[in-house]
Amino acid sequence: MRLFGSDIEYGLQIEGRDVADQLEDSAEVIRSLQANSVGCWDYALESPRCDLRGFSVDRLTTDPADSVWDVGRVHPPESELRSDRVLENGARLYNDHGHPEYATPECRRIADALAHELAGERIVLQAAKDFQERTGRAVKIYKNNTDYHGASYGSHENYLVPRSVQFADLLSHLVPFLISRSILFGAGKVGSESRPDVRFQLSQRADFFTELASVDTLYRRPIFNTRDEPHAEQERWIRLHVICGDANRMPWSIAMKFGTMSLVLRLLEMGDRVEWALRDPVTAFRDASRILDGSRIETTSGWTNSAEVLDDYRCACESRFRGTDAETDWVLDEWNAALEDFRTDWTRLADRVDWAAKRLMLEQFCGPVETWDAPLAQSLDLEYHNLEPQDSLFDALVAEGQTRTVIPESRILDAMSMPPQDTRAQLRAEVVRTYGEQVQAIGWRRAIISAGPDDSRVVEFPVNWETGTLSDLLE
Amino acid sequence: MAPVINAERRERDLPIPERKPGEDEGPSKRDVRKPQGDNELLRRMRKVDPDQAKKYRQRSGE
Repeated sequence: MRLFGSDIEYGLQIEGRDVADQLEDSAEVIRSLQANSVGCWDYALESPRCDLRGFSVDRLTTDPADSVWDVGRVHPPESELRSDRVLENGARLYNDHGHPEYATPECRRIADALAHELAGERIVLQAAKDFQERTGRAVKIYKNNTDYHGASYGSHENYLVPRSVQFADLLSHLVPFLISRSILFGAGKVGSESRPDVRFQLSQRADFFTELASVDTLYRRPIFNTRDEPHAEQERWIRLHVICGDANRMPWSIAMKFGTMSLVLRLLEMGDRVEWALRDPVTAFRDASRILDGSRIETTSGWTNSAEVLDDYRCACESRFRGTDAETDWVLDEWNAALEDFRTDWTRLADRVDWAAKRLMLEQFCGPVETWDAPLAQSLDLEYHNLEPQDSLFDALVAEGQTRTVIPESRILDAMSMPPQDTRAQLRAEVVRTYGEQVQAIGWRRAIISAGPDDSRVVEFPVNWETGTLSDLLE
Repeated sequence: MAPVINAERRERDLPIPERKPGEDEGPSKRDVRKPQGDNELLRRMRKVDPDQAKKYRQRSGE
């Protein structure tokens, strides 16, 4: 089973502070968390400017509209701003350009990946509460992807894929899937931040993608990110860095996002490709987000819709993988039922798909979509994503029993302090617990531990690690 | 406000990795304040500042 996980950037709003303060404020929030952790992230093995197509760029582009917030300001050094922390569950918590970011430990099971993403929500919220306690300033944390003024921040999925899979095949096989999956995994958004205008759309992120494939992530964002940074043996693996997905609150959507993508990748690894030749993928991504009946994805041979495209992938996975294991069968059953519900009546998805829950909630409160008062509807949209359980509109739905609970609460609580039990994250977690201040550097692949004044030891975290303890590795 | 849930909702949980007996004891979902009389969702929606989204500005991420 492959390694996978997510890294989520959270929206941050602090009482009495401005967006121009956000880089420093986010760092302060991260540092405020009262939790056992190790700093000194190991940047030596990172390669964000390397491209899967076999070249490197000199620099990644930045957003000129965002840069205005830095005019006249001198920020602390990058290492200080980042405020990296590796937690005792094997996760990484840090400040990414003004956003608290939580990267889950590596997982092999969907239930673990879901538990760790939800644990990340709780940990980031706890950091905000600890900040509030220390400073007296009220903090709001949002798990969403937009500020409605043109700024977007990411919720990324990461999947380890054998390097033997060809880039061209990955691109052609995955892009139609990534574009069409908004009907099941879109978080929903009131309004738009690109043309054409729309009152409500399925995806929070589709407005912000202008390229098909690129190594950039901050500006001129691509549907397919070509960053070549495997966090594993370079010659054996690539890490598929999916940046075009939405930040989900619904556990079902998070679980199914991981589950369906893992199966779609397995298809390709077994030599099966699903073929949909899109006329213009960037336009198709926006169309697929905007048209609720899904009737607007243009291929080179005519028009189709998202449900039809997704069902094509589902059928291929069904015939290949049915009966593999209980987890796979769960994904296949749920995929089929959700597409059936979408075709029959989208309100049937409101217990497990964010955009459907949000749209139904807004229609019941504000009336038909064409009558919505835009500022109020956008504010309600935003508060759906608030992580504070006593204020969040999403959590009100949870409290009323109107959302599906996919895993027990105990799994989420465990994930706040324990790594998955079958990946190399166990080793990272054990290093944090055991070596603390002796750790000179730590990352996804290794830790460097000081054993004396001029003596340090490198501990590698193997990709194929499943069971054992750190002492097994050190023997 | 009418409930948003539909009657034929499926409730099959995601298969989870096995644990030792007793390890999955505890609450099945998060302890969020339960509805008190009035519809909780409606109560929260009425409390939302209509200008909250206008005031919400963020740095571009990733």
